[in-house]
Amino acid sequence: MTLLLHTGLVLISVLLTVQSAHVLYLMLYTWDQKDAEERARAPEEFLPPRLSFSVLLPARHEEDVIQTTIERVVRADYPAELLEVFVICSADDTGTIARAEEKIAELGREGVHNVGVVVFDDQPVNKPHGLNAALPHTSHDVVTIFDAEDDIHPAIFALVNTVMIQDRVNVVQAGVQLMNYQSTWYSALNVLEYFFWFKSRLHYHALEGAIPLGGNTVFFRRELLVRLGGWDDHNLTEDADLGLRVSAAGERVRVVYDDRYVTKEETPPTLGHFVRQRTRWSQGFMQTLRKGTWKQMPTRKQRWLAFYVLAFPHGQALLGLYLLVSLGMMLFLKVPVLVALISWLPVLMLAAHFVTQAVGLYEFTDAHGLQATPKAVLRMAVAWYPYQLVLSYAALRAMRRQMTGRSDWEKTQHVGAHRAEPPEADSHVA
Amino acid sequence: MSHEPGRDAARPQLVVVPDERRAPAAQATGQAPAPAGRAPQPVVTLGRFRPLGRRGRIALGAAVLMGLVTHGWHLFQYPLYLTDEGIYMQRAWSLVRQTSLSPYTYDYDHAPGGWIQLAGWAFPLPNQFETFGNAINTGRFLMLLVHLAGVVLLFEIVRRLTGSLLAASVTSFFYNVSPIAVYYQRQVLLDNLMMFWVLLSLYLLLCRDMRIRHALGAGAALGMALITKENAVFFVPTLVYLLHRRTRGSAQRRFAKSLWPFALAVPVGGYVLYAVLKNELMPSGLDFDLNNPPADHVSLLYTLWWQINRNQGSLVGHGSLLYASWLPRDGVFLILGLLSVLAALYWGVRDRGRNPGFLIIGTLAFAYSLYLVRGSVLLDFYITPLIPLFAATIGMTADRLLRRFRPGLRKALPAAFGAVVLLLPATGYLLTVNDEGRVAIADQYQPKLNLTRMQERQVAWIRKNVPANARIIMDDDLWSELHDVPPFYPFAHSHWNASSDPDVRDKLFAKNWRNIDYIIMSNKMRQAMDGNNGDGRENWILTALKNSRKVWETSQGDIKLQIYRVG
Repeated sequence: MTLLLHTGLVLISVLLTVQSAHVLYLMLYTWDQKDAEERARAPEEFLPPRLSFSVLLPARHEEDVIQTTIERVVRADYPAELLEVFVICSADDTGTIARAEEKIAELGREGVHNVGVVVFDDQPVNKPHGLNAALPHTSHDVVTIFDAEDDIHPAIFALVNTVMIQDRVNVVQAGVQLMNYQSTWYSALNVLEYFFWFKSRLHYHALEGAIPLGGNTVFFRRELLVRLGGWDDHNLTEDADLGLRVSAAGERVRVVYDDRYVTKEETPPTLGHFVRQRTRWSQGFMQTLRKGTWKQMPTRKQRWLAFYVLAFPHGQALLGLYLLVSLGMMLFLKVPVLVALISWLPVLMLAAHFVTQAVGLYEFTDAHGLQATPKAVLRMAVAWYPYQLVLSYAALRAMRRQMTGRSDWEKTQHVGAHRAEPPEADSHVA
Repeated sequence: MSHEPGRDAARPQLVVVPDERRAPAAQATGQAPAPAGRAPQPVVTLGRFRPLGRRGRIALGAAVLMGLVTHGWHLFQYPLYLTDEGIYMQRAWSLVRQTSLSPYTYDYDHAPGGWIQLAGWAFPLPNQFETFGNAINTGRFLMLLVHLAGVVLLFEIVRRLTGSLLAASVTSFFYNVSPIAVYYQRQVLLDNLMMFWVLLSLYLLLCRDMRIRHALGAGAALGMALITKENAVFFVPTLVYLLHRRTRGSAQRRFAKSLWPFALAVPVGGYVLYAVLKNELMPSGLDFDLNNPPADHVSLLYTLWWQINRNQGSLVGHGSLLYASWLPRDGVFLILGLLSVLAALYWGVRDRGRNPGFLIIGTLAFAYSLYLVRGSVLLDFYITPLIPLFAATIGMTADRLLRRFRPGLRKALPAAFGAVVLLLPATGYLLTVNDEGRVAIADQYQPKLNLTRMQERQVAWIRKNVPANARIIMDDDLWSELHDVPPFYPFAHSHWNASSDPDVRDKLFAKNWRNIDYIIMSNKMRQAMDGNNGDGRENWILTALKNSRKVWETSQGDIKLQIYRVG
């Protein structure tokens, strides 16, 4: 029995070590490749505008921000005749529809007529369904999505126009970056997750041909989207699902993370929002895993990588439990020295992750003209372990929901709607 | 090679482009051109190290081949098996057979990395420790492999630091052929393993494109060096400086600089954690009193403290190792090495901005020399880590001095020097003057000289005449032989353990000379017993020796082996 326990302990430790070493590799991927950073950057000079863009703005209860968002898109540095904008609302969201139409009328008086509202009144009321409802209305070369609270860079269309033409790709994922790393105890860690995900890890996924795309600032050739049949209405992470379908179709995806042109977002305002958002992503990945798109990938390596990404929430749940168990074992259980040394390895890897994230904080603040302080690093250190536990908790929660068959957006949305807080951020990236 | 001068300027790389083949970027980024009239100096410039090339591959191949011959030939016959070789092999044996770091109480006298590696080497071999005849031979074969790897690493390190094949070749020559190198590098010493890791760490910091993985690898290698032998700590400052030079201004510098120490801390932390888990980090009661060693359990930090405060002998005094052992083995090499280290430090400090190569090798050698000069406990083989470093400074200095000559002469001069050193009997490189005053092949290659066979005969006599349950006092070089090959002699212990380890001293022998059946002796062991007897701890063994009769002996040159039967 003891032998079995020790063997199990050693096995789990080794597995976790290998897994977290791999995650570390992916986090550092861009910095570790020679010149990869240059390759990931945006081109220094843009081509003249040629491609036309259909911008989709799915919005639900976004009365406060929708007008600004529309404003930002139509004021982008790109010829108005090459842009069309669709605000997507469900029929019951009369507030947002009214505000959007108000803005459209105002723009119309200025002679800007490329904005419209798409209203859908069938179920399910969620983002992928809204996107699917709007797709038939689009007519331009490239379809893109922004979330209502996104802070879009004005040059983003010129940038994507250039990249799509120069690199001959049909899909471009541009960087999204959470910015407010100092507002809550978990925000710095959340911000850094985005930073490493978009700046480093996604490049690896793009290169290997198995990429879970982000929910916004992602650009598709319209005919590709139509050919793939749009988004999956019933998936909680329709973006990741679509990314894998794009990869399975053999399409190359170009990832551009250039600190100058990222779409800026904010971390969820409260822990409750954060947990719900994370639960949705985790469950979405679980759904996508079960759906089996990853099995359609052409090569084994792609299949494996896709499986690995999608199964990650399961691993995360396990890791959190392990963290608790290992802590307990260190204090209470007497195991042979060698077993103890081996079970120490995953802890070392976690420390390596922390060091990397601390450095990442400096890289991030440097890139965006902010100032990281030792105090911020210290805060991160204190928040780090609880943060892992929160992620684990969300993963476990997702697992439970998945097992009990609760896969609706409704519930989350209801909670948001019933509260006086601003609705949950609708951007799911990871 | 396309260079964008603007971007490259922000991330300089330490690169040497020698002579006239300067990279175009050097001009573009405002590097000072070599002064006209003199032979061009190597210029550190942006870009990448030059690839090895065909001539380089030939030179490197020749160096490796030479190392194979000088270190491989006669490896198992010369030199005599040393006590310390026996100790390390005995501990590796214990790791494989007993899953323990030592057959006796492990008291943190050395970090265990070295014999963990030895155990890792012996374990998968078909006959494990006996694959090459006996345990020490098996260890020595690993030393040969480590030396060959060292040749490649050192060759590339010197070539990258100087951009010169000549420097690398001269370095390899001394590293391979110097009798002092052959003597110590054939022995199973922690220093040899440590230097392999140090060189690997240095090499990784000189990779063509410095990436995070190289920094990680370099840190981990240095960590391995540290837990192989703590003396690697003297190389840390220089390697930190090199890391800084290599990553300065690059995109990954922050990651490289923070993950390097992290990787270094992993093996070192493992060692400390081991002590913590065994509750052997601190002495009991936090008592670091040197006159009052902890009685109930050993302690890593106490041993460390004790080692730091140990003081004995001096390097330059009369009769010291320098005069008694090192200079006689290879005075040419040591004197050239010392001078070239001074030159390297001078050039290195003066020229550090453009060409840090001299500074790097110079300070590595300097830091370790300081440790030797400081006059702590010195053992014969403590010179070992300096050998590759001296070889490197000699090679680099020679290259620098020879630059003023035309190409033909630049090769002819060192070649002639090498030939003289090899053929002059006084040097002992290839030839020597033997006791009868005749010129003969040097000891390390002399087919007629088989020192270790004396020890084999000693063991053979024991097996034939001594019962397996006899209680034996001996030296550690025979330990594995008597414990690993049947019939086993479980009660054969070295005088070191018999005089200090409570388990052996008090339980088996009860400190009573009458409990000893046989003493297996050598003249070296006799000296060591006297040296170890400051507090009279060996007295009861010496009493046994007085009450014994010699039953076997052999001698060759100044080496004498005996077996005594007590009582």
